[in-house]
Amino acid sequence: MLAYVVKRLGLSVVIVSVAMALLFCMIYLVPGDPASVALGPRASEAMKEALRVRMGLDQPVWVQFWNFYSSAWRGDFGVEVLSERPVIDVVLEQLPYTLALIAGGITWSVGLGIPLGCWAAVKRGSLADRLVGVLSVAVIAIPSFVVAIYALLIFSVSLRWLPAIGAGEPGDLGDQLVHLILPSLAVGLGWVGYIARMVRASMLEVLETSHIRTARAFGLPEPMITYRYALTIAILPTVTLLGVGVGQMLSSAVFAEIVFARPGIGRLVYDAILTRNFPVVSGAVLVTTIFFVLVNLIADLVIGALDPRVRSSF
Amino acid sequence: MTVLSISDLNVRFATEAGAFHALKDVAFDVPERTIVGIVGESGSGKSTLINAILGLLADNGRVDSGSILFEGQELTALDPVAMRALRGPRISCVFQDPMGALNPVLSVGRQMRNIQYRDESPNAQKDARSAEMLEAVRIPNPGTALARYPHEFSGGMKQRIAIAMALMMRPGLLIADEPTTALDATLEVVTLELLKDLQEQIGCSVLFISHHLGVIAELCDEVAVMYAGEVVERGATSEVFRDPRHDYTARLLECDPANQRRRTRRLPTMNDEPGSFVPQPVPPAPDRAVGEKPLLEVRDAQVTFRVGTLFRRESIVGVGGVSFDLYPGETIGLVGESGSGKTTLARAAARLQAISGGSISFEGKSVHELSAGAMHLLRRDVSMMFQDPVGSLSPRMTVGDLVAEPFRIHRVGDVDVKAETMRLLSLVGLGPDFADRFPHQLSGGQARRVGVARAIALNPKLIIADEPTAGLDVSIQGEVLNLLNDLRERLGLAMIFITHNLHVVRHVADRIAVMYRGRFVEIGETDEIFAAPEHDYTKTLLSANLAGPGRQP
Repeated sequence: MLAYVVKRLGLSVVIVSVAMALLFCMIYLVPGDPASVALGPRASEAMKEALRVRMGLDQPVWVQFWNFYSSAWRGDFGVEVLSERPVIDVVLEQLPYTLALIAGGITWSVGLGIPLGCWAAVKRGSLADRLVGVLSVAVIAIPSFVVAIYALLIFSVSLRWLPAIGAGEPGDLGDQLVHLILPSLAVGLGWVGYIARMVRASMLEVLETSHIRTARAFGLPEPMITYRYALTIAILPTVTLLGVGVGQMLSSAVFAEIVFARPGIGRLVYDAILTRNFPVVSGAVLVTTIFFVLVNLIADLVIGALDPRVRSSF
Repeated sequence: MTVLSISDLNVRFATEAGAFHALKDVAFDVPERTIVGIVGESGSGKSTLINAILGLLADNGRVDSGSILFEGQELTALDPVAMRALRGPRISCVFQDPMGALNPVLSVGRQMRNIQYRDESPNAQKDARSAEMLEAVRIPNPGTALARYPHEFSGGMKQRIAIAMALMMRPGLLIADEPTTALDATLEVVTLELLKDLQEQIGCSVLFISHHLGVIAELCDEVAVMYAGEVVERGATSEVFRDPRHDYTARLLECDPANQRRRTRRLPTMNDEPGSFVPQPVPPAPDRAVGEKPLLEVRDAQVTFRVGTLFRRESIVGVGGVSFDLYPGETIGLVGESGSGKTTLARAAARLQAISGGSISFEGKSVHELSAGAMHLLRRDVSMMFQDPVGSLSPRMTVGDLVAEPFRIHRVGDVDVKAETMRLLSLVGLGPDFADRFPHQLSGGQARRVGVARAIALNPKLIIADEPTAGLDVSIQGEVLNLLNDLRERLGLAMIFITHNLHVVRHVADRIAVMYRGRFVEIGETDEIFAAPEHDYTKTLLSANLAGPGRQP
């Protein structure tokens, strides 16, 4: 178990460093001069040159790469150009908002997807089953920004049930949760469909296996068979799916944060790219990469906790 | 007193092609404290019968008429809730597949506790009962076994745990559906003895379903023979087996390879008139010309597997140094139980598995040192037949495409592939109309024939057949063995025939090698091995292979 975690963490370091190398390449290749964007059109050539030297942009590529790499490993992404604050502080300040958004998205998708999929499988062939099937495909097909805009229009503008913008009063948990409902729905709704379909398919498969037949032959109550014997096995693929899904939720978070004017990493990166604020981009991307890798490690550990066969192979 | 009495039972399934009459006027009794066997091949309606008794028929199935009387209660009239109350405490069941019969994510103790959910007693008391049952089925350290998960037990132990679970509530009737079919011969004997002991101890009746006539003869007091949804014959086991009245029973008994005690080139099939079969003695192997080169030379072959995690590496010996020669046209039987290394050895011979020591050469060339191109050529000469007849055929290809596939893989362009396909199909006894069918439309025996056609397509010199008759009905086994015997004689094939079933290999192999823990414990002429086994393990294996019911004249 411990050996497994150590091995996986070692692998994570490799993944993160490859991601950083790719990130450097991308930033280097993006057109536009960060110094001129930062200083605006009226800056003199001398001012731009001074900033370039300060940012190390006058160095050869490999020196820039080495500077970037070595300082990134120390968590040092330099100083944010405008506010002069360390980039890492700026990023970590935004991180909780995005984490809350992703957690909300997972709550929606798991909370609705698993019961719906399970219900459809148990009522196989019924109207309910077909309805769940059609709805799943529908919500998968709708892009998350469309969900975000319509959710905003319906629940905030027309019905005025839920707040439209912001993340809520700092320190007021209830208010923050209320502000989270619509954005996290936008992030998680598509995944309700994925998860419902996946759970339904694997439930049907598990319900056909001979240990379920054996459990029926022993006269176990049907709810026990469905939830304790079948569903515990049927959700295993879902956990893996969600581990990967978090990556996609991170990208939908960008839209949700912009539409609902929430703070967060997605919005931070969006703004930073527009202003060529590359230190912030790299800091944010690195933090999300680490987050994504950790989530997948957790997903695998969760599978181990649920499935003794996997656990014994750790 | 009669525990279970079934009379005039009719079950129909509503299918898209109309109603399917699965059980026709089925009638038999299970008296108190007896073991009643049900013999029948696939499609005979055995599973439908079990499900009808347990009240677990599929949604489209319906009991049309007739009665299932259990301990005085009419089961066909019970609602699902009352039926569920009977399942477990009064009627219980053990199914065939020991690997899948236990829930993989719940500990054994938790599953056994769940079975006792009707009891109000505290968990500690339930666990004590579970441990007691595990002890009764001879699971070592029952107390700690409760905390373990199914995958931590071997197949035989899992099946014993399943039996413990089924008998835990002391039911009046245990339905055992092929409970030992997937087990090795020696384990089968142990499990059957255990089942019989427990049955006597608890005093329940057992309805024992099997296609294995030897097992039925060994275990059951009474037997009912099912064919195409009907009980064609029933009575005391000894009488039915000694003097079958129904034609089907007579044919079935005769075509069981286990019932042919003398080696014969051709085995009886279901088409043979009962009693008319005359064994064809196997011609003695021709003397090898002096200096004839063996086709396959295996010298001290070893295979080790490296297993474990990054930090704990272990090696497991798959094959621990075996040597033999195989001459053109000769068949060697590799006999042993699961895990004895027989499949690993065969895979190494075809270079599907790397060897870690020794050498294997085919026609004088070292198989494991050939270049990729030379190996591709060798694949024409050595073909494999795998165990699962249907599963080893791609479900998306037609039979015609499947048989033609070897020609495409090996880019054999100089033959008329279509004509060749038809020739091969007729060679294995399938009509030309089979070419357009898909594997799921074939029976096990037909799928096996397609596998044979694929294996002989490129005129190989050696066929490696891994359990080619396992999982086939008794009536089909003889046919497939006849086909293989016929083809290897006509085409001069050499064959490595892997099996755990001694009765099958006896009629095919010229020589037999008995494998145990990766080594040959005995190798010799087939007749000699059967007449005078030398090694203790061979003797155990011979006595564990339950012979047929023995209808010797």
